[in-house]
Amino acid sequence: MTRFSIVLLVALVLSGLYLVKTSYESRRLFVELERAKAEEAQLTADAKRLDAERRTEATHLKVERTARDKLAMRLASPEVTVYVSDSRASGASR
Amino acid sequence: MSWLKRNTPAGNHSVRGVNYSTSPLLASKTPPSRSRLLVMLVGVGFVALAGRALYVQVIESDFFQKKGEERYASTMQLPASRGRIVDRNGQILAISVNAPTISMNPQQFKAADDQKRALVSLLRMPLKEFDAKLSDGGAYTVLRRQIDDGVAQQIRALKVKGVTLEPGYIRRYPENEAAAHVVGFTDVEDRGQEGIELTFQRQLQGQGGSRGVVKDRLGRVVEELGEPVDPRDGRDVQLTIDSKVQALAYQRIRDAVQQHKAKAGSVVVLDAQSGEILALANYPSYLPGERRNLTGAQLRNRAITDVFEPGSTVKPFIASLVLEKGLVKPTTVMDTHPFKVGPLLVNDGSHGHDSMTMAQVIQKSSNVGTVKLAQKLENREMGEMLASLGFGAKPQIGFPGAATGRLRPWKTWKPVEKATMSYGYGLSASLLQIARAYTAIARDGELAPLTLIKGEAALPGVRVFEPETARTMRELLRGTVSADGTAPLAQPLGYSAGGKTGTAEKQEGRGYNSDKHRAWFTGIAPIDNPRVVVAVMVDEPSGVYFGGLVAAPVFKTVVEQTLRTMGVQPDLEIKAPVLTAKPALAPAMPVAVAQLNDASPIKARN
Repeated sequence: MTRFSIVLLVALVLSGLYLVKTSYESRRLFVELERAKAEEAQLTADAKRLDAERRTEATHLKVERTARDKLAMRLASPEVTVYVSDSRASGASR
Repeated sequence: MSWLKRNTPAGNHSVRGVNYSTSPLLASKTPPSRSRLLVMLVGVGFVALAGRALYVQVIESDFFQKKGEERYASTMQLPASRGRIVDRNGQILAISVNAPTISMNPQQFKAADDQKRALVSLLRMPLKEFDAKLSDGGAYTVLRRQIDDGVAQQIRALKVKGVTLEPGYIRRYPENEAAAHVVGFTDVEDRGQEGIELTFQRQLQGQGGSRGVVKDRLGRVVEELGEPVDPRDGRDVQLTIDSKVQALAYQRIRDAVQQHKAKAGSVVVLDAQSGEILALANYPSYLPGERRNLTGAQLRNRAITDVFEPGSTVKPFIASLVLEKGLVKPTTVMDTHPFKVGPLLVNDGSHGHDSMTMAQVIQKSSNVGTVKLAQKLENREMGEMLASLGFGAKPQIGFPGAATGRLRPWKTWKPVEKATMSYGYGLSASLLQIARAYTAIARDGELAPLTLIKGEAALPGVRVFEPETARTMRELLRGTVSADGTAPLAQPLGYSAGGKTGTAEKQEGRGYNSDKHRAWFTGIAPIDNPRVVVAVMVDEPSGVYFGGLVAAPVFKTVVEQTLRTMGVQPDLEIKAPVLTAKPALAPAMPVAVAQLNDASPIKARN
């Protein structure tokens, strides 16, 4: 009986220690997961912000102003445009 | 007590009390009442404890449970981001980005000199102002709201004690003033205030979530409690607007308004076939991000909210109906001497002729001719035609403040009213309504439904004229942009077009002000196979004020650039020849297509 109790006691202590270890581990992993999630949110937000910034820098108004003022470009008018009809489209319908 | 007695070999020393020690000094006699009192006190203590336990664990258990939870658990709010507004090609017109609020607890603030300098320069705040806030003494002060996220990250990296970042969003509008009237804007609390932001508030708005967590001493989340409620981000709204067409339309109307020192101007570009609104631009406009000192004039979406008498732009519809009834032919010669309708003398002013063909009536925009045409129609026919073109009815585009315009019921018309109405006075419409009415001519007689939201189930078109009538009318409208017409300046380079000018004195009170004019032009291009309907309006131009001189050039450039953007090939002869791919290449093409797609019918035929 006593021996059995000792075995149980040892088992109890071991399982207790194991519980401490796993709960520590789970908290550590949880914190890591949280950090990763926060990072993900931050990166998503950054991507959005940068996307918006990129669009702001590349609006048609801005591009045209830069092309005209800085690069001295002109809009292509139909008289200097050569239109090539796409024979693939007409070929497919044939 | 037996074990106590065992420890005291000289147990029978005492007769009445208990022996605590063998030491004679301590061997005092204790009265039994004392020990009883003691036992009683301990007993009372236990009862009190049991009572308290009962109170805490059973009677008020919920309350204490809650209080306990508050000590370690906290609820984190998970913000949802507002949906985006994008154009027909998915280009962003409005997007929410992170923009934290920087706040400070002056009592906890602690920073080295260089840290403080860096912080102040990142905040772009004068050092004096910062010091004033610091010496304020309170426990909380906001340093800056809605700061750029990039700057916020740098501030976070400084790790200054007492400075915290609170999450927040700011709305960005990449197209700025070009699309401001359509897109609208939101307030500080991210609620739509104008335009699409207001109309689609419910769809755009997200729903915040929350999660219960356990935080440690440092404020880090260490455990999650229960199931989190995920935030639901707002849904995107896709418009039929093409940001490229929108930008160039805005640019052209802005240039025209500035050139003619006008008060304002608007442009509407519609897809002639689907009725989708490709562009809706107004000048003056505003920057949606900087809304201080805004005036109502800047905010107004004139193309939709402002109504005016459509003037000559109504004439083609009257002529179409007369044509459709077979009452005249384009070649019919009409007497166009000035004549009286009731008290009104109908005349064409200095550009009048004695006689004109019906085609010339449209080309030269003759009031006399048009009134004569209208007199061939019954009031009911004319009234129902104007109503079915959308005059006097609110356009169903779900836009705040869309004007209805005015069209009086035909039963109440007097002859003089019918006469003035045939050349566009006595009824009113917004520029959008006028542009829409022209889709009836562009779409072979069927009025297109207006749509501003991509993917929204379009209402079926309404047939107003027979296809043959609409085609004839398009041929006649082509005349107005010819060298002999009222608007040769509207002729786009490389594309056929047709349209109608309008010039009117502005209504003021009960009469008209001969110093203030409004000039407009509405047209269709290419005229044989219409792709766009463009309506241009310039309000109060100074100097020249005729639609053919002020609005027509805007029409020309907008049509040229819109059709080029849409990849429409010019249908008019231009200097450079239009090339087709060499015939030698053609046979190779079907093979290439077949290789790309094995299941293609071309290969099956091969």
